[in-house]
Amino acid sequence: MLTLFRNLFSPPRHMILLLLATWIGLTLAEKRTERYGVSKEDLNNITYYGLIAFVIGGRLSFVLQNLPAFIKSPLGIFSINPDIFDPPGGLAAAIIAAVIYGQRRGLQLWNTLDSVTPFFAVLSIGIGLSHLAAGTAFGMETDVVWGIDLWNATRHPTQIYEIAASLLIFGLVWLQKQNPHPGVLFLTYAALTAVTQLIIQAFRGDSTLILNGLRQGQIIAWVALAVIFILLEHQMGDGNEG
Amino acid sequence: MSKIQRIILYLLVLITGAAWIGISADTMTTTGKTSAPQAGFAAPDFTLRTSVGEEYKLSKLKGNAVLVNLWATWCPPCRAEMPAIEKMYQEYKDQGLVVLAINMTYQDDPASIPPFIEEYGLNFPVLLDETGAVGAAYQLRSLPSSYFINRTGVIQEVVIGGPMSEALLRTRIEQILK
Repeated sequence: MLTLFRNLFSPPRHMILLLLATWIGLTLAEKRTERYGVSKEDLNNITYYGLIAFVIGGRLSFVLQNLPAFIKSPLGIFSINPDIFDPPGGLAAAIIAAVIYGQRRGLQLWNTLDSVTPFFAVLSIGIGLSHLAAGTAFGMETDVVWGIDLWNATRHPTQIYEIAASLLIFGLVWLQKQNPHPGVLFLTYAALTAVTQLIIQAFRGDSTLILNGLRQGQIIAWVALAVIFILLEHQMGDGNEG
Repeated sequence: MSKIQRIILYLLVLITGAAWIGISADTMTTTGKTSAPQAGFAAPDFTLRTSVGEEYKLSKLKGNAVLVNLWATWCPPCRAEMPAIEKMYQEYKDQGLVVLAINMTYQDDPASIPPFIEEYGLNFPVLLDETGAVGAAYQLRSLPSSYFINRTGVIQEVVIGGPMSEALLRTRIEQILK
C-alpha cells in the first residue's frame, strides 16, 4: 500500500498532492468564510494573490541568492524545473501580497486569518502526504513494530505521524462551532501545529542540530509557540473584538 | 477558563516543551552514516563500465565532487539537459567535478548509445547499467534523476526530473565543489 502510494506520487508527481490539498482547502474555507465576516470573493482573491506571489517570489528569491549563476545563464530564470525555488522567499512574498491586498480591501487581520485557517489545515495534510510520497522529512532508525522501510532502514514513520496529527488538527478546526474572539481559531491551529512539530521533530532522522545536539526545528517550534500564546492571550482578553 | 488558569496552562506547555527538547537532543545525525539515494546520506556505491570497457567505482572518486545522472536515450528531458551537463563539465572539471552519466541500458537500446554520445559530443564517461542494479540502488522512479555528491561522498542535492537548466546545474555544482 505504502509502496504503491510512493510509486504513484513519486517526485515530481508529489506536487499533485499539494495542488489537490490547495483546491480542497480553498473549497472548504470558502464554505465557512462568511462566518468570519470575509466575503468569498475576498477569500479567493487573497488566496490566489498569495499563491501567485509564493510561486513568483520563491523563484525570484532563489535567483537572487544565486545571482552569479543566473547572470551567466539568464534564461534559466524561466526554466520549468521546480527545483529553482526558495520556499522561505516564496512564503515571505505570499505574506506581503496578502497583507497588501488585505489593507487595500480594508480586511480585518484576525478575521481574515480565521477564514483562511481551514485552507492552512488541509494544506498541512497535503504537505505530510507529499513528504511521505517523496520520502523527505524521514524518521530516525527504529525497531518499533510500526516502523516503515525507507532509505535502506526501518524508520519512524514521521510523515505518517505528521499526516495523522494534521488530520486531527483539521478535525478540531472544522468542528469549531464558536469563535468568541477574532483570531482564536487561527492561533489555536498555529499552536497545535507548533506542538505537533515540537513532538514529531524528536523522531526525525534529518534534523539540523545546533547548540550541542538540540534540534533546530524544535527550537523554532518552541519559540513560535511562546509567541502564539502571547497573541492568543491578547486576543482572548476581555472586550477584544478585533 | 480564567486568565490565571490559561497562563498556567501556557507555562506548563512551554516547560514540558523545553524538557522534551532537552530529552530528545541528539548528538549525531544520519548524515553520511548509511547509504541511500537521498540528500544527507552517503551515495550508494557502484562499479560500472563504459561501452569501451573502462571501469568506474564511485567510492574511488572521494575527494572529487560527483554528478551522477541517470538517463536513457528515449527520454526527452534527458536529451534536453545533456548539452548543459556537457557545458558544466567543461567549465568545472578542472576544479574537481566528475560527471558519471549512467545509461539505464536494461531499459534502453544499447545500439543507440554510441550515436547519442557522438551527436551530443559528450566527453564525460557514459556508464552502462545493464542489469538495473544501479537503478535499483538509487530507487529510480523517474528519468532523468541527478545526484549531486560532495567531496566526502555524501549526497547534497537530488533533482528528480528535468531538464535541468545551466543555472540550476551551476548552483548545485558550486555547492558540491566547496
